[in-house]
Amino acid sequence: MIEPSLALYGEAYARVDALIQELLDAAGVRYGLLVDRKGFVLSHKEALWAPRPPALDSVATLVASNAAATAALANMLGERTFSEQIHQGENGTLYVESVGDQALLTLIFDSSVPLGKVKVYSKKTVPQLAAILDELKDLPEIQLDSDFSAGATSLLDDLLG
Amino acid sequence: MSTINFAAREINCKIVYYGPGMSGKTTNLKQVFSKVPGHLRGEMVSLATEDERTLFFDFLPLDLGSVQGFKTRFHLYTVPGQVFYNASRKLILRGVDGIVFVADSAPNRLRANAESMRNLRENLAEHGINVRDVPIVLQINKRDLPDALPASMIRAVIDPRGELQLFEAMADKGVGVFETLKTVSRLVLERLSQTK
Repeated sequence: MIEPSLALYGEAYARVDALIQELLDAAGVRYGLLVDRKGFVLSHKEALWAPRPPALDSVATLVASNAAATAALANMLGERTFSEQIHQGENGTLYVESVGDQALLTLIFDSSVPLGKVKVYSKKTVPQLAAILDELKDLPEIQLDSDFSAGATSLLDDLLG
Repeated sequence: MSTINFAAREINCKIVYYGPGMSGKTTNLKQVFSKVPGHLRGEMVSLATEDERTLFFDFLPLDLGSVQGFKTRFHLYTVPGQVFYNASRKLILRGVDGIVFVADSAPNRLRANAESMRNLRENLAEHGINVRDVPIVLQINKRDLPDALPASMIRAVIDPRGELQLFEAMADKGVGVFETLKTVSRLVLERLSQTK
């Protein structure tokens, strides 16, 4: 089972983690994820009391694809994008909000949590997250050398035979 | 293409299987899913119609492990091949790092192969991606059809200059599936370590 690495390097990502944890605590949300628009999990937190989450890779991919499809719809209707999506079921809610142009904040919570409360708290968190992601853009690119390529290729041999 | 998440020390690569309808893109992914050990892959997600035609995409995450402290992971996607699903096909190409073009050996699908390749070039151009900038590998599938066209004839139609690496495959039997994936993955990784 593939889960995103919990060992976060980089001080910026520690701050992202802390913000999502705060949001979880304040709003009573089960799971909070920051997903990039390509469908990769950037960061995730779950409430201590929450049951094991569903496969997060799948959640992230579906949320990102859904957002991409919704954005294409928005363009057809003359909007730049729809920044917020709410999917409500019988027992729970999936709430997705854009964080800048690169990421999506995804919150999953059960029906005992009022949607309005989650909205209020996430509207506060989103600009803070967006600011951190903006800072990350300015960091220098990592240079990978040929050792990396050789190491990765041997892992490929192990995986694919 | 933002493939390196350097703060989290993760490298994520997106590989898309492209090709005409029914050429075997989903079958490729199913073979990979069934042969890779469980701890190295995630769940396979298929958004398909009742008759198992891909409607939006199939998705399969593969974990390579850590290379020089970077967690390296491949996300495999397929697109719906049918001509009228171009809007969703275009969405899936966003941020692609490597492409496997799955061509069909059947004589009556030769034109569909050509149209799909042209569609791929158009969609990449709309994303501002030059065809030469993204690694593409050809897989000529269904070699076991009794009336399969010669591979050279199919290649002449989809890759007239003979620039791309080509693999012959029978995806439903697993033949050629891993070789194709390995080659495209290696090309993607080599591109990563090239000095920019």
